[in-house]
Amino acid sequence: MVDKILELKDVTIKFGGVSALNKVNFHVNKGEICALIGPNGAGKTTVFNVVTGVYPVTSGEIFFNGKSLTGMKKHHITKMGIARTFQNVRLFGEMTTVENVITASDVHKGSGVIGALFGTPRNRREEKASKARAHELLDFMGIGHRADQLAKNLPYGDQRRLEIARAMGTEPQLILLDEPAAGFNPAEKVALAATIKKIRDSGYTVLLIEHDMSLIMGISDRVAVLDFGEKIADDLPHIIQQDPRVIEAYLGVPADAS
Amino acid sequence: MINLRDKGAELWEGWNRPTRATFVIATIGVVALLPFAAEFGPTSFLNTPITSFQNVLVYPIGMFVLMALGLNIVVGKSGLLDLGYVAFFAIGAYTQAIMSTTLGWNTWEIMPFGIFFAMLSGLLLGLPALRLRGDYLAIITLGFGEIVRIIALNLTSTGGPNGIAGIPEPPAIFGLKFDLMHNQNYFWLVLTMILLVVWMVRRFTIRRPGRAWEAIRQDEDVASLMGINTLVYKLWAFSIGAAIGGAAGVLYASKVMVIAPDMFKFEVSVLILACVVFGGIGNIWGVITGAAILAYLPERIRFISNSRQLMFGFVLIVMMNLRPDGLLPRKKREKLKGVN
Repeated sequence: MVDKILELKDVTIKFGGVSALNKVNFHVNKGEICALIGPNGAGKTTVFNVVTGVYPVTSGEIFFNGKSLTGMKKHHITKMGIARTFQNVRLFGEMTTVENVITASDVHKGSGVIGALFGTPRNRREEKASKARAHELLDFMGIGHRADQLAKNLPYGDQRRLEIARAMGTEPQLILLDEPAAGFNPAEKVALAATIKKIRDSGYTVLLIEHDMSLIMGISDRVAVLDFGEKIADDLPHIIQQDPRVIEAYLGVPADAS
Repeated sequence: MINLRDKGAELWEGWNRPTRATFVIATIGVVALLPFAAEFGPTSFLNTPITSFQNVLVYPIGMFVLMALGLNIVVGKSGLLDLGYVAFFAIGAYTQAIMSTTLGWNTWEIMPFGIFFAMLSGLLLGLPALRLRGDYLAIITLGFGEIVRIIALNLTSTGGPNGIAGIPEPPAIFGLKFDLMHNQNYFWLVLTMILLVVWMVRRFTIRRPGRAWEAIRQDEDVASLMGINTLVYKLWAFSIGAAIGGAAGVLYASKVMVIAPDMFKFEVSVLILACVVFGGIGNIWGVITGAAILAYLPERIRFISNSRQLMFGFVLIVMMNLRPDGLLPRKKREKLKGVN
């Protein structure tokens, strides 16, 4: 029996009269790479937003390691161990690359304003440790040489890599990647796939939204498909590929069929 | 335009520790000698007509620099527009006035209370107000500034429109007397407070609170998704800014000895905000320079009497057109070391 790190039970979200998610039941197992796919507007990013506390659920419940996330504040959810990246890169542009990661790692620090003012030993130790860890993460993502550049001046691909490094900076158990390969060329995608596998192998659980099928089929342990706010399939990658409902959702059905 | 900020930073980074220390001590030394600049031949052009130069150095210059540094934490570092900053200045000043005249305590004893009350009011205002953003926050703080002044205007314990007179001067410390004949001592006191605030802000900037404020300023939603408790850090920024305003108020009240609600009008908030923006929002050296210039200029050109404010406005308009980001803008320099 594998542990479910994240579980959505009958999650519904309504914006006015429109339901963005409709009774979605879905889970992520500990230590796997799970992919979330579906056509545009299917509700994939909404799942991320509801898990990280951006939107409250209309009904249903979300569990993280068995604990309900209902009513929790965004920063509290991050502290519990869920980190995310953004579909349209949202870095702290006026900060340097390494500062972006350190800022994220502040979440687990014990010393705050008072500690910083008096430079307590604990504060010094924590500052030093998070700086070292941030450089480690940048090296891991292959952007160590950009550490002191302003985030907004990084090339696009490096900004996406920094988004992942920043998410890992919060020392999460579960990382939500929102289209990490968007705008990447094939060679970059291959490298990214290897990196995501490496992230999984270092003990993190990954939930990713992606449109690139070859990337998804290559790395995912499991694939869930959303369409119009409903989960229509959830299985191993090669089974998903054959699923008629998935093909229909993506390609549509010919007018004379059925 | 020449880039003073980058030139300065470049020079500073090129120095080793002893050179830096020497430079800092020399700068503080020169600034500390400012009260005598008016009598010293080569610098006598600095002298202000009508008002005494030493007086001008304490108020408005010193006080403005102090308050601008406090407001800069709120507006510059955390990006929260506060249009009622004068309220905290007033709370500090009234704390000093009421406690000294009724309890007979001296300035040094009242100082912690002035800071505490200003912080507390910052916290009480911030708790509901900081859930709002941008323009809405600005309007609430604007209202708060007016409320404090109007309360002071109507309460009997604050002396109503007449204010409170007979506030004692601070007792001497280290043999330095604080009275009308010893304005330089007041200046050194304000200078010490400014240095303390600079030290504090610099510490915050490079550590966790500074990063949290910077993140909140740039993208509050992402900041909270990265685990920053945005409300707590905004409250800290607000109350630290308030504390500095309160400290300035306590000192101001014991310097001028008479305070009245008229001294804490909305214009003061605007002027302090102008100092921050004029100097370079978010950059403490810019803010200090900006506040010093904007406080000094109207006093220096007092001889043209009525057209004084016109000139002041003109300088503001020209400057903000030439350097919209302020004299010494924020914007961090990138260290390109190690990049091909």
